[in-house]
Amino acid sequence: MLWTLLIKDLNRARHNPWPYLINLALPLCITALIGLVFGPSTRGGGLGTIKFAVVDDDDSVLSSLLRGAMNQGEFKKHLEARFLERESALKQINDNKISALLIIPKGFTRDYLAGDQSVALELIKNPAQSVYPAILEELLQVAVAGLNAVARNLHADLPEWKEIIEKEGRPDMKRMADLLTRVGNRFEQAEHYLFPPLLGYETTTQKKAKEEGPALNIFAFLLPGMAAMFLLFLADHAIRDLYREVKARTLDRFRTLHDRLLPFVISKVMLAMAVVVLGSLVMFGGGVLIFGIHWERPLGMAAVILAYGLFAAGGMASIAALARNERRANAVNSVLVMCLSFVGGSFFPARQLPPVFRDHLSPLMPNYWFIESLRALQSGSGEMTWVWAALKLLVLGLALILAASWIFQRALAKGLRA
Amino acid sequence: MASLLQVSGLCKAFGDVRAVNDVSFEVRAGEIYGLLGPNGAGKTTAISMISGLLRPDAGKVTVDGADFWSAPARAQKIMGVVPQEVALYDELSGRENLEFWGRLAGLPAVGVRDRAGEVLEALSLADRARDAVKHYSGGMKRRINIGCALMHRPKLLLLDEPTVGIDPQARANILEFVRKLGAEGTAILYTTHYLEEAETLCGRIGIIDHGQLLAEGTLPELQKRLGGDQLFVLEGDLQQAKPDDWPEFHERFRIIQKLDRQLVVSAHNSRHPSECLRDLLELPVRVENVTLKRPSLNDVFLQLTGRELRE
Repeated sequence: MLWTLLIKDLNRARHNPWPYLINLALPLCITALIGLVFGPSTRGGGLGTIKFAVVDDDDSVLSSLLRGAMNQGEFKKHLEARFLERESALKQINDNKISALLIIPKGFTRDYLAGDQSVALELIKNPAQSVYPAILEELLQVAVAGLNAVARNLHADLPEWKEIIEKEGRPDMKRMADLLTRVGNRFEQAEHYLFPPLLGYETTTQKKAKEEGPALNIFAFLLPGMAAMFLLFLADHAIRDLYREVKARTLDRFRTLHDRLLPFVISKVMLAMAVVVLGSLVMFGGGVLIFGIHWERPLGMAAVILAYGLFAAGGMASIAALARNERRANAVNSVLVMCLSFVGGSFFPARQLPPVFRDHLSPLMPNYWFIESLRALQSGSGEMTWVWAALKLLVLGLALILAASWIFQRALAKGLRA
Repeated sequence: MASLLQVSGLCKAFGDVRAVNDVSFEVRAGEIYGLLGPNGAGKTTAISMISGLLRPDAGKVTVDGADFWSAPARAQKIMGVVPQEVALYDELSGRENLEFWGRLAGLPAVGVRDRAGEVLEALSLADRARDAVKHYSGGMKRRINIGCALMHRPKLLLLDEPTVGIDPQARANILEFVRKLGAEGTAILYTTHYLEEAETLCGRIGIIDHGQLLAEGTLPELQKRLGGDQLFVLEGDLQQAKPDDWPEFHERFRIIQKLDRQLVVSAHNSRHPSECLRDLLELPVRVENVTLKRPSLNDVFLQLTGRELRE
C-alpha cells in the first residue's frame, strides 16, 4: 500500500512539478549569483587571465620599465598585456577580445619626473564586460597611488633622475648609484611607516587535491549551505500535502477504505524523503554540470544526504502536525527553516557568526551537521565527521517521524481540518 | 432479501447539538434506500458514522451481519463510499484515479487496469480516460467520484448527495447509473435533499430532519400517512379562517398546511372525493378555487415538520 501511495504522490508531482522545480532551481541560482559575485570564475576555482592592451605613446625608459614589469612574475600569471597600436587595440575591445585598454600618454615620463604638473594614465574599459575591467581599474588605481607616493617622497631627486634618463648615450652609472643609495636611505628611515607589521596570509594547494582533481572551489563551499535550506523547503512542501489531502477529502476517502492512518502518514514521509533525495541529485548533480564541482566522496555524501532527508521529512512533519492546519504549518515551517538556515550556516559560514551562535548554537543544528560534514568530505578533512553526522541525523529523523505520525493520528481522530 | 446494512439507535452530538438522534433503518441487497432531508438534517453525519469516519456516541452499525467497529476492515471491503465532495486527485487522469483507489481497495495490480476500463465504459467516460480530472466538467467529476467507489465491486454502496451542483442531464445520467447498480443487486444508501430523486429512484425512503428519522417506507406508504392518495387545495381569503371553530372539520379532514391564501387538507377514512369536495365547499369561508392533487413527498415532509423541504 505504501508503494501505491508513494507512486500516486510522485505521479501528482510529475503532473504539477512547479512548486518542486522552483525549490530546486533557487539554490542553484543563488549559488551561481553568490559565486559569480564573490567567487573567481565559474569553473576550476582559479582567477582567469585578464587580457588587456597597452598603447605606449610615451615610449620612454619609464614606460619601457612598466611594460617589462607587466610580463613578469605574479603579474604575468593573472594579466595578459598586449602591446598594440591604438587602432588595433580599440578594434580588439570592439571585438570583445580584451577587457580594457591602458594608454600611456606621450610625455608621461617627462611630466612625471618634472613633478610640476599632474600626469594621467588613460584606461578605456570594455563595456561588454563587468568584472574584469573593474579589476583592472582597481589595479590601475593602486599603481597610480604608488606612483604618487614615489613622486611625493622623492620629489627632490626627480629632476636628477630626469637628467640621467634624458641624457644621450649610456646613463651615468655612478650618479645613478648615488641616487639609489639616497632612495635606499630614505626608505630605511620610513620603514616603520611603509612596512608596518600587517597580518599576512599565504595560499597553498594540497598536493592530493592536485593529483585527484580540481581544488575546492567556491561553489562547492556554498552549495551545501543553500542545499540544506532548500531541501528543508522541499520536504516541507511535500509534507504539507497531507493537509491538501485533508482539504480535498481524499484522506477521508482513504479512511473509508482503511481504518489505520499510519500508512498514509508514512507515505507522506516517504514522499518527502524521495523529494529530498531527488532534489539533492538535481542540486549536487547540477553543481557538477553547471559549476564544474568535483565531489570528492560521493558515497559519503549520499549517506549524509539520505540521513538529512530523513531528518528533513521528520522535522517538517512534526511541525506540520503540531500546527494543525496548512496555513499555520506553512508560516511556522517557513520561519523555522529560515532561522535554522541562519544559525546552521546556510547564509554565512557558521564560523563567521557571532561567538554565541558559532560556539554554542550552530553546532546543535542538524543542518549544521549536514553542511559541515559535506564540506569536510569535500576538503578531505575529518574522516569520521560525516559518519557521526549521518548517524545523528538518522536517529533524530526517525524519532521525529514517529512523533509526527502519532501527533497526526491524534489530530485526525479529533477531526483535523485543513 | 438479505439485509446488508442495519443501523440501530445511532446517535452523535457535537457539543450541545444532537446531529443524529436515535436513527434506525436497514438497507437490503438490491434496494435503493433514500435518506431524504434538508441541508443540516444529519444525513452526512449518519453516513460518516456508517462508513467509519466518525465514531457514534451510541447505536450500532451492522454490515453484512457483522458489527462495523468489531471488524472495520471486513466492513470496508464490502462497502463503497461516495463522499458528497468530489474527492479526487485533480492532477491525475480519470483512469489513474480509478486505478489508485482500486489498488487501495485491495484489487491486484493485474486486475485493476481491466476493472478501470470496465468502470470507465459503464460511466461513459472511456474517451476521456487519459485527461486530467481538472479538465473534466462537474458531471464527469461526479461520475468518476462514483466510479472510484465501485472499483472493488462493493455489495453495499453509500452515496452522499452525489448529484449536488450538476446540470439536469448529468444528474439524469447518474441516476440512471445508480438505478442500474441497484438492479444488479447492490444495496444502496442514497442521501439527497432533492424530492424528485427520492421519489423516482428510491424503493424506500427515510425522512430525516434535525437528526431524527421522522418516517420511513415506500412512497405509497408515506403518502398513506396523509390519509389517502388525494389532497385538497383550497384557495381564497383564509387569513381570518379558524378551522378549529368549524364544526366536525377535524373529524373529517387533516390540515397539511395553512397559509393566508391556501389551505391544504387530506381526508380521513378514504371517503369519496366528491363527498369531501361537498364538505369543503360548505365551510364557513369564501373559497375561490379547490383543486385535487396526489400527495408528494414534500407534502409528507410538510405534514411531518410543518415546513416545506424546499424552504
